[in-house]
Amino acid sequence: MKKILLSFLTALLLVSLASCEKDDICVDGDTPLLVIGFFDAEDTETAKVVPSLRVKEVLLDEVVNTITDRSSSLDSIGIPLRIEAGSTRFAFVTNSNDNTSGEETGDIDTLTVSYQTKEVFISRACGFVVHYNNVAVTTSTTNWIQDIQIVQPTVENSNTLHVKLFH
Amino acid sequence: MLNYFISLLTVLLPFWVSSQSQPVNSQPKDSVEYKQKYGLRIGADLSRLLFSFIDEEYTGFELVGDYRITQKLYVAAELGHEEKTQTEDLGGTLLYRYTTTGSYLKAGVDVNTYTNWLGMHNAIILGGRYAVASFSQTLHDYTIFESNHFYNPSFLQGAEPGQEFTNLNASWLELVTGVKVELFTNLYVGMSVRLGFLVTHKEERFPNLWIPGFNKVTDNSNFGMSYNYSLSYLIPFYKKSKKKKGTPHVPQ
Repeated sequence: MKKILLSFLTALLLVSLASCEKDDICVDGDTPLLVIGFFDAEDTETAKVVPSLRVKEVLLDEVVNTITDRSSSLDSIGIPLRIEAGSTRFAFVTNSNDNTSGEETGDIDTLTVSYQTKEVFISRACGFVVHYNNVAVTTSTTNWIQDIQIVQPTVENSNTLHVKLFH
Repeated sequence: MLNYFISLLTVLLPFWVSSQSQPVNSQPKDSVEYKQKYGLRIGADLSRLLFSFIDEEYTGFELVGDYRITQKLYVAAELGHEEKTQTEDLGGTLLYRYTTTGSYLKAGVDVNTYTNWLGMHNAIILGGRYAVASFSQTLHDYTIFESNHFYNPSFLQGAEPGQEFTNLNASWLELVTGVKVELFTNLYVGMSVRLGFLVTHKEERFPNLWIPGFNKVTDNSNFGMSYNYSLSYLIPFYKKSKKKKGTPHVPQ
């Protein structure tokens, strides 16, 4: 009987240790970024970097904080979307530079990203994040972006490509 | 003078010992049967009552009961109701706050593995339960976790605060280990630790992070731990003596 009790208590201890979790650090996820890849307009399978790329959110009129501003080595970027709205507008600038009076000299295309938000509970430590459904990207101008293709209309993480831009 | 007496005793001791003429009966016939009490033991969990007073975010009670069937076997049950409000935050920023309210019933058996000395009524218990709970959850406030603070310096409020998720239920198996000690006649204190294994649970958009009776639900695990500290009273129904195992055959 003592043996049974002892083995039972040991099993109890093991299980209670095994069921431990880190519940003070959120490592299970985050509200994802929209991942955009840049591809060659002729050879659509080939990634093509954008020279001196600048991405500005239109309402804030601020350069997004997730990419290196005016970098010439980016062929894919992740940008944050507005959670509280159904769309976010971005100004995509290539060959971005300022002239002597501080005005933008690069080519600008303004893209509207529209979507539906969905609140999702991911874990005890993180709580809720937002996923985006039915992502659509439109532009009225084609100054340098020739075509837009939605690869993944549901944005649940920042690891896969969601949108392809051809230039 | 003292020396004199001691030496006298020492001299006389062999005579006293040898004067014990009757043979010692090493196997006396046990004519007295000790009868044990059988009955219903009912009580309440003290820890849940205590926490109802000291913890503002918790109210709850649990009634406990068992009925003795044989020398070792008891049928046992617990009936309870709990309400608990919990807040999860991240460095002072609220992530979510919710209240769980509901009732539970656990039923099963206890086996007393302890062999008492004569006249004692204590128990070391191994037992099992099947438990069901019916509850609801209210998600008071919550925020959207976003590590990028480009648009908002802090987490945004969720869109639908104050949502209630009703008609939730859960069932689980419990392995019970505990002790019960008779404090005064028929009055017992007990404590038990329970390892729960969640079998089914219905959940909504907001998961069941805590279930009445089951306690905390761990991410990606069906195991849970709970406990109780009970005070209970035995209502004796009848008395019965313990069956003797392997009574030696007495030749006529």
